[in-house]
Amino acid sequence: MQQSLIRNFCIIAHIDHGKSTLADRILQATHAIDEREMRDQVLDSMDLERERGITIKAQAVRVGYRASDGLHYQLNLIDTPGHVDFSYEVSRSLAACEGALLVVDASQGIEAQTLANTYLALESDLEIIPVLNKIDLPVADPDLHARAIADLIGENPADVLRVSAKTGDGVAEVLEAVVERVPPPSGDRSAPLRALIFDSVYDQYRGVVVFARVVDGELDRRSRLRAMQSGLALPAEEIGYLAPAMTPTERLSAGETGYVVTTLKSLGQLRVGDTLTLDDRPAHAPLPGYREVRPMVFCGLFPVDADRYPALRDALERLSLNDASLLWEPETSQALGFGFRCGFLGLLHMDIVRERLEREYDLDLLATTPNVEYAVTHTSGSVLAVRSPVDLPDPNHIEVIEEPYVRATILVPHDGVGAVMGLCQERRGAFVTMEAIEQRQQVVYDLPLAEIVLDFHDQLKSRTRGYASLDYEPVGNRAGPLVRLDILLAGDPVDALSTIVHRDMAHARGRDLVERLQKTIPRQLFEVPIQAAIGGRIVARETVKAKRKDVLAKCYGGDITRKRKLLERQKEGKKRMKQVGGVEVPQEAFLSVLQIGDGGS
Amino acid sequence: MSGVRHLYLHLPFCSSRCGYCAFVVEVGGLDRRDDYADALLSELHLEGDVLGRLDTVYLGGGTPTLMRPRRLRRLLDAIRPRLAPGAEVTAEANPETVDGRQLEALVEAGVTRISLGVQSLQPHLLSALDRAATPDQARAAVACARAAGFASVSVDLLFGVPGQDPDDLHRDLEEVVGLRPDHVSWYELELKAGSALARCGVALPDEDAAADAYRTVVVGLEGAGYHWYETANFARRGHQCRHSLAYWGAADYLGLGVGAVSTVAGRRWRNAADLHAYVAALADGRAPRRSEEALDPDTARRERWMLGLRLDRPLALGWAGPPDHPEALPRLRELGLMEGGGAHEVRLSREGRFLQNAVLGELMEYA
Ligand SMILES: Nc1nc2c(ncn2[C@@H]2O[C@H](COP(=O)(O)OP(=O)(O)O)[C@@H](O)[C@H]2O)c(=O)[nH]1
Ligand SMILES: C[S@@+](CC[C@H](N)C(=O)[O-])C[C@H]1O[C@@H](n2cnc3c(N)ncnc32)[C@H](O)[C@@H]1O
Ligand code: SF4
Repeated sequence: MQQSLIRNFCIIAHIDHGKSTLADRILQATHAIDEREMRDQVLDSMDLERERGITIKAQAVRVGYRASDGLHYQLNLIDTPGHVDFSYEVSRSLAACEGALLVVDASQGIEAQTLANTYLALESDLEIIPVLNKIDLPVADPDLHARAIADLIGENPADVLRVSAKTGDGVAEVLEAVVERVPPPSGDRSAPLRALIFDSVYDQYRGVVVFARVVDGELDRRSRLRAMQSGLALPAEEIGYLAPAMTPTERLSAGETGYVVTTLKSLGQLRVGDTLTLDDRPAHAPLPGYREVRPMVFCGLFPVDADRYPALRDALERLSLNDASLLWEPETSQALGFGFRCGFLGLLHMDIVRERLEREYDLDLLATTPNVEYAVTHTSGSVLAVRSPVDLPDPNHIEVIEEPYVRATILVPHDGVGAVMGLCQERRGAFVTMEAIEQRQQVVYDLPLAEIVLDFHDQLKSRTRGYASLDYEPVGNRAGPLVRLDILLAGDPVDALSTIVHRDMAHARGRDLVERLQKTIPRQLFEVPIQAAIGGRIVARETVKAKRKDVLAKCYGGDITRKRKLLERQKEGKKRMKQVGGVEVPQEAFLSVLQIGDGGS
Repeated sequence: MSGVRHLYLHLPFCSSRCGYCAFVVEVGGLDRRDDYADALLSELHLEGDVLGRLDTVYLGGGTPTLMRPRRLRRLLDAIRPRLAPGAEVTAEANPETVDGRQLEALVEAGVTRISLGVQSLQPHLLSALDRAATPDQARAAVACARAAGFASVSVDLLFGVPGQDPDDLHRDLEEVVGLRPDHVSWYELELKAGSALARCGVALPDEDAAADAYRTVVVGLEGAGYHWYETANFARRGHQCRHSLAYWGAADYLGLGVGAVSTVAGRRWRNAADLHAYVAALADGRAPRRSEEALDPDTARRERWMLGLRLDRPLALGWAGPPDHPEALPRLRELGLMEGGGAHEVRLSREGRFLQNAVLGELMEYA
């Protein structure tokens, strides 16, 4: 197809503003799918994503569209992940497009993710088509929000499209605008192949499938492909595009988007952002913007039932096939036994992985408190990457500890600014800027990622009654006075409960923690002291009293079976606990470390 | 030594259902008592082959005394030829349903032991429990039972009743001791699924309050000369309930009547809990069984532990079989929950008796 008739675009939106619904409408309007075929939201293909209402994996759908100018266009709608954890992936999807529909809920207005995505799109030089969605809602205020969006991207409010993805109102105008305003691609078809890998999936039947945007040259079914950054050879079995079903084709040329089914059996070395080129006629330089993604959040995952360790390893192996950013290595905990220390792009990524492990692989897991990666400079001068609190060296041997910081952008109504600043302050935030956007305040803080990894989101929500939205991006490491807070059960430290905290907060957090544990650990046959310690010094203590009564009063011939079943249930409950130095600790206890009360005041 | 030696008869009729009760009970329906007695006798005939000389018989309820002496006599007449010499024959009775004459009739019919459902002697607790009897009726019933000449008079009481404060409990204790029963069953109130009390969502006392109450009962009754011979049972010398001891000794028993449970030769079955279904099945000459389970050797062994540890006497390993986790024994001794016993027996300490389930959880698998 002629490049002038191709449009590559994506939809960016804050969660729930209607990205998926609008995508469905577009596919419908272009007859890519008929209504019966249309499941709720086509682009979100995994159940889990549907449940959470987010998109993890971007894919590209090609549709044909006859525009009002009478010409037949090829539209490639590239889906983007919608969460901060995946901002690098988002940026790669954006890089595969020339334009973006910026969808904003006309009843909500601009949210933090709207901003973050807009900045990303502007950085990628995309033509932004602002779209106010949900104008059918009685509470929608399109005029007000149109002005704000126009302000944000420096356009005329009149150019902000108004649609209802629900009723289909205005969708035709959206398609026309895509054709009119999004520039066609402009690659050099005769140059050596350069195709941007913006997504990849592992399919159990087909193997690794790569999604790519051809920037220059041609991708032929018979080409011998190589990824330039990793040097990986990618033997192609089939190339094609999604319509939305997989449709094989002979070639994809500059400007087009499609997939390559490779013979690879695991995502392994394959990285989003890498450049595909021809083995025998390589391009001079790869496409810009490639980055190694590094996991930001780590936690230990342990099977509740030790016998399931091999099953957990298999499950992680399987998940890795399809998730190149999931990192894992064996870890042994005195308290929890054999497990894995896993690294994730962010909290959401962690939740998704955990849930898939439990649901799809039927595993019962214990997760330790998530933490970040610390860069610890030893007095000897060597620098250590510490991904688990237990690996923190003796304080006497530490020169400096650095921890990752993020720049957090929070949008909040004016009356919530105090609460947000209070929270950021408690969480060791450094104020950056504040600015009014629409009816709201944009508050920017640099915060230790470790603080966000705890319960920042929940706190933000509860303190602003759900009105604040948050987005953040890494801004590098900073040094801080950090210490390890240990928890002792019945006198013995429980490695899985250790956390790294700021020295000034250690006392309060220790007290909070032991109180929480005291409430979650059931009474045992003996008294169990719970202590918090910093460097061997006890800073807080509570006790779980010994059990005093545990009998079934009445037992006669008619209810021997019932009583036995009761004991069986009790035993079941016991099995869900972890034996930690003779103390039975329920799974919730390990989670309770996560909820740190009102910020350790 | 062949044949089942313990027989239970379930007599389900009650004039109303108490709020905490989830037994198989038939409220009203008194016109069906004769049909029911017929059905019981048919069932006795049907299942009677497994019986040997009966050492104990228990007429439980429901409210057996609502059957009136005539029908009870009919039932007991049918059983009498099977009784071993010196057999214990217990009847449960609700205090408000008995008088001197009736109790004498029971004695004449061969009942040797009476168990009176007193529950409490505090008016506000009786009404909280929906009990029909007044404290005075309860006292009178004990006195009449004595006068009627039962070999053993027992009373049932409850602790852990919502609203029962320590003073209430002490008063009950004092008054019960004053009544001088031969035997006391003092149960902790359980919230049973299906009872009105469970439905209305009241909270039972917390573990510490319940533990205090339990200890008060144990100490109080022991102080008055009763032997704490089972988790919830106390007796003067020679007055332990032999029928219950058979249950706790994992002996076989035959249960007749609606919802009754039997355990014979490694099989346990439960009868239909619906009166109509029960009567209809027997009218057809069919066994009214509703469910049945086979007790495999491990289950039986675990039950022997579960039951045997309720008693204040050592559990003989030769009889009960080994625990699943013998390695837990030293630790339980260290914690002071088990004591004494040689290589061939184990025994809960006094403290251990309050934690029987937890100890079992350490020793046994129950899966
Ligand atoms: N009333 C109304 N609801 C809409 C419209 N578009 C989407 N929604 C609803 O908004 C919610 C979020 O939409 P979805 O497409 O899943 O948002 P996404 O998270 O951005 O993909 C869903 O309940 C949709 O049904 C619209 O135009 N009008
Ligand atoms: C089979 S019941 C019924 C006997 C008789 N109908 C009566 O109410 O006195 C025997 C005893 O079980 C006890 N009981 C009944 N329900 C109970 C419960 N929910 N929790 C503890 N004990 C209970 C009572 O003490 C009762 O006296
Ligand atoms: S407690 Fe006794 S009297 Fe009350 S309903 Fe139950 S069996 Fe009948």
